[in-house]
Amino acid sequence: MFLKRNCKQVTRLVLEGEDRRLPWADRLAVRLHMHICAACPRFQQQVRLMREATLAWRHYSEEP
Amino acid sequence: MLSPSSAWPMISDDPARKNSPDLASQLEALRPQLLKFARLQLRNSAWAEDAVSETLLAAWERPQNFAASSQLKTWLIGILKHKLVDQIRRNCREMSTTSEDNEDVLDDLFDQTGHWIDAPQDWGQPEAVLRQVDFMRVLEACVEHLPGQQGRLFMMREWLELETDEICKELSISPTNLWVLLHRARMRLRDCLQLNWFSTPAVDPARSR
Repeated sequence: MFLKRNCKQVTRLVLEGEDRRLPWADRLAVRLHMHICAACPRFQQQVRLMREATLAWRHYSEEP
Repeated sequence: MLSPSSAWPMISDDPARKNSPDLASQLEALRPQLLKFARLQLRNSAWAEDAVSETLLAAWERPQNFAASSQLKTWLIGILKHKLVDQIRRNCREMSTTSEDNEDVLDDLFDQTGHWIDAPQDWGQPEAVLRQVDFMRVLEACVEHLPGQQGRLFMMREWLELETDEICKELSISPTNLWVLLHRARMRLRDCLQLNWFSTPAVDPARSR
């Protein structure tokens, strides 16, 4: 199954997605995995929160 | 040279002759903050000191570039970012990975079949967390605790806001290598935040100032 990924693989792809555009097959595989997994969507939320937090931290560092 | 006493003789060819004693003390007061970010970026005290000195000197020599409408700190951070890129170019050969950078942090979190050993926790809504100054301090401490090269790369990406291909060029590393080190850095940050922020009781009014 070329679209089957386990949690470890999905975790890595979610993290790498912050710094590169994933190939379409990977993006689709991640999306499919999120439908059948309870843990990985929470991880994806954590990564999203970290992205917003890093942005806020950068702004905070530049302001008086 | 930034102390008011030595900088104030009115020498006619001194480009900074119109600077007020006020600017000197303001620059000096912001030095520790600049140094903190320079250290976070370069992970080397000597290089960080150089970048901050160059920043303050540039500000001192060209105060006319500082638009009165903006904030002094914002202006200085902007100069510092350029000086940090200069330092990275100058010292890139000495910026390399250590064994700590090369540890695969994902291995400990998953079982043989690639399933989570401890499922990720719900961190809640970002808005609730992001307005807490203490959370920013924890995040900063977690960035500081990244292994050296991971810390530099993370800061280049998130604080200097460089594109991945620029980072690869400056440090002569392959894109694959960069992605691996960045995903490790992000995973370490996540583990650090989990341990130092989200594992403690969430409802603590004393913390939400």
